[in-house]
Amino acid sequence: MEKILYFVFAAGVSLFFNVSCGGNVNNEITVISREESSGTRGAFDELIKISDGKINMLFREAIIVSSTDEAAFKTEVDKRAIAYTSIGSVTGKIKTLAVDGVEANEENVKRGAYKIFRPFVAGVPGSGSSPLARDFISYLVSRQGQKIVVTAGYIAPNDEASVYSASGLAGKLTLSGSTSVEKIMERLKEEYVKFNPDVKVEINYTGSTAGIKDCLSGKSNIVMSSRAFKADEKEKLEGYAFALDAIAVIVNKNNPIDEISSEMVTKIFKGEIRSWSDVK
Amino acid sequence: MASRKNVFSIILKVFVYLAMGVTVLSLAGILSYILVNGVKTFKWSLIFGKFSSQNPSMSFAIVTTCVTIFLTLLMAAPLSVFCAVYLTEYAKRGSKIVRYVRLATETLAGIPSIVFGLFGAIFFGTVLGFGYSILTGCFTVAIMLLPVIIRQTEEAIKAVPDLYREGSYGLGASKLRTVFKIVVPSAAPGIVSAIILSMGRIIGETAALIFTLGSVAQLPGSLLDSSRTLAVHMYIATRDGGAAGREVAFLTGTVLVFIIFLMNVAASYIGGKVGKDFEN
Amino acid sequence: MKEKIAEYFFLICSLISIGAVALICFFIFRGAYPAVQTVGLWPFLTGGLWKPTDIPPLFGIFNMIVGSVYVTAGACLIGVPVGVFTAVYMAKYCPQKIYAGMSQLVSLLAGIPSIIYGFFGMMLIVPFIADNFSGNGNSVLAASIVLGVMVLPTIIKVSEVSLKAVPKTYYEGALALGATKEQSIFFVLIPAAKSGILTGIVLGIGRAIGETMAVVMVAGNANILPETIFKSVRTLTANIVLEMGYASGTHFDAIVATGAVLFVFILLLNLVLGVINKGSKTAGT
Repeated sequence: MEKILYFVFAAGVSLFFNVSCGGNVNNEITVISREESSGTRGAFDELIKISDGKINMLFREAIIVSSTDEAAFKTEVDKRAIAYTSIGSVTGKIKTLAVDGVEANEENVKRGAYKIFRPFVAGVPGSGSSPLARDFISYLVSRQGQKIVVTAGYIAPNDEASVYSASGLAGKLTLSGSTSVEKIMERLKEEYVKFNPDVKVEINYTGSTAGIKDCLSGKSNIVMSSRAFKADEKEKLEGYAFALDAIAVIVNKNNPIDEISSEMVTKIFKGEIRSWSDVK
Repeated sequence: MASRKNVFSIILKVFVYLAMGVTVLSLAGILSYILVNGVKTFKWSLIFGKFSSQNPSMSFAIVTTCVTIFLTLLMAAPLSVFCAVYLTEYAKRGSKIVRYVRLATETLAGIPSIVFGLFGAIFFGTVLGFGYSILTGCFTVAIMLLPVIIRQTEEAIKAVPDLYREGSYGLGASKLRTVFKIVVPSAAPGIVSAIILSMGRIIGETAALIFTLGSVAQLPGSLLDSSRTLAVHMYIATRDGGAAGREVAFLTGTVLVFIIFLMNVAASYIGGKVGKDFEN
Repeated sequence: MKEKIAEYFFLICSLISIGAVALICFFIFRGAYPAVQTVGLWPFLTGGLWKPTDIPPLFGIFNMIVGSVYVTAGACLIGVPVGVFTAVYMAKYCPQKIYAGMSQLVSLLAGIPSIIYGFFGMMLIVPFIADNFSGNGNSVLAASIVLGVMVLPTIIKVSEVSLKAVPKTYYEGALALGATKEQSIFFVLIPAAKSGILTGIVLGIGRAIGETMAVVMVAGNANILPETIFKSVRTLTANIVLEMGYASGTHFDAIVATGAVLFVFILLLNLVLGVINKGSKTAGT
């Protein structure tokens, strides 16, 4: 009995020293992505060609997080991390990389230089949607709505929007869809309710795909999608893009690089490049 | 031989103290991390202020937590107490029913909360059509609590000396009267402490609630509305809260720890009385 | 008459927990069935690829089953020795003065919401592992440490109760025969309390395998078979919570099926628990 204990103790000590003295000189990239069927991931994978529409080739050891903010959290505490996140989630604690020499900002998205962006779409069923739902959407794309979009850090697609005036409608409106839209939608909802105090707006953040399902089955009135509708979805839903969101490629603050090529991003997220020393 | 014996004993003793140290230190580490950061970010407006996207206050979550606790206990507590009364006072010892009920409660006790969440979302949410709502969440958590309250109430009732029952019967009281005038009141402190502990369970629950109660940031207007409890609020804050989310998470965590601590103290104070009452 | 009605009423209340278990079984397995039918039970359980959005989609949860087992085993390696030794401390070493404080502390450890453990792990333990060991910190090790701490209260409480339930004469007899305190505890007391301690461990395993929110924040959730403890891992619970909100169609059924597999694991654990308790009863008589 004693001998066993001595042995276990010795083994433990030696293992500890082996591991801790092995040191950590590696420069391995921590690839951080989102779960399958997240709208942000869908858009990102398509834009940087991780997915060909059929097969997804994301690096199998990539860390999977369940929201854009968690991606930002993880990047903040991991010196070797690379991730992508909605431009609205970028904080001062992480660094945004320029892709192919172009910064991720409003101007560059609008003039088409920064390619990695996706629309936020509000959709209603093509037939049988309520006047209240349509009124809400008309607020989203109005001048006031677009102003909120810009102050929230996103890009307004609609420069010459008309002015919204209160409709005087009443009732309950249910929205469901992308988690990425949360920050902007909460503000829009607050402002909308100021116009129409009799309307109660309830928002569930379940993800774009589930939101589309909810909307088509009548569980919710409006779907908020963080990607453009696919062909089969377009047949059943009327979509209105109310904001554009650049997807920023982010790294830790201490990472020396400031810019990256889009091929490099693709290679990193496919797992073909594994070390920061190979990133030029 | 004697010295070897001592060395061995000393090693074991060291391990015992080491283990105690690890337990204490890990708790101290977690608590101090949460509390220090929570105090640092302390703002009254984040606790009692009105919720908006600019001020993600937890006031509405506190209300929802209270409503959820009240409703859940309203369902679970009487059921569990009656069940425990049946098992201890009515059923024949070792009868089949007792065996099956015990097997069922043990199974319930072992089921992970995420499976409860799945079940709740499918059964209460979809099949019964309550959707994401307080009602769905409360039903789901009520089932989770059954085994917790049943088991401890049983213990408390078993601790009531037979002398009490015999005295009551001797005075001519019926069984029902004996149970509710003598046995249950004598076991009350134990039952109350069980209920307080299960309140702690409700407060800390996340996995079973996000898919049943949902995660809408609003003061619930009716029982069919979706909202968040404090723990869900903290989870959403880490997930989608942006930079402000972390402050909210720390502060909500601090409030949670504080509440749980108070409840534990209350439960052990009240529960501690049971034993003392019967000792003399 | 009143008595009879009351008795039946109580009986019905008791049957509700049986009904609840039946309902849960029914809806979880029924929800899982379409997925198993489409994918096939064997490919579902042994497939290494989980690609729900590919065309055609792939649903294989083998890596996650292994992941859950790894993480639970890791939690046991950390939690069981620490837990059992702490229970020994609480039962035999702890001075009367600080006993109340210690037991309050263990209750607090049990009561802290899992989300707080996860947050702590994500902000401190993960970066610590990344800085001092290999890999990026989101790993089997991180999950094991967090879970190891989370199972402590379960193991401590149950073990302590069973250590205290051993008749005093055992311990005093051993001391009287000239054994040291430690020898009496470890060679007499612990073997006597064996079944209680085992129950505590099995309950701890149950808690570890079913834990969700804490694991999902520290494990990294990559769907791979981890070769070392520094590699990322996805557990069954993480798979459910990550994708359930987003899933539809066969994907949703496959998530429910993941839950069903988890449920079967728990039923097996309960079976083990039953065997342990039965063993202890026969040993006792």
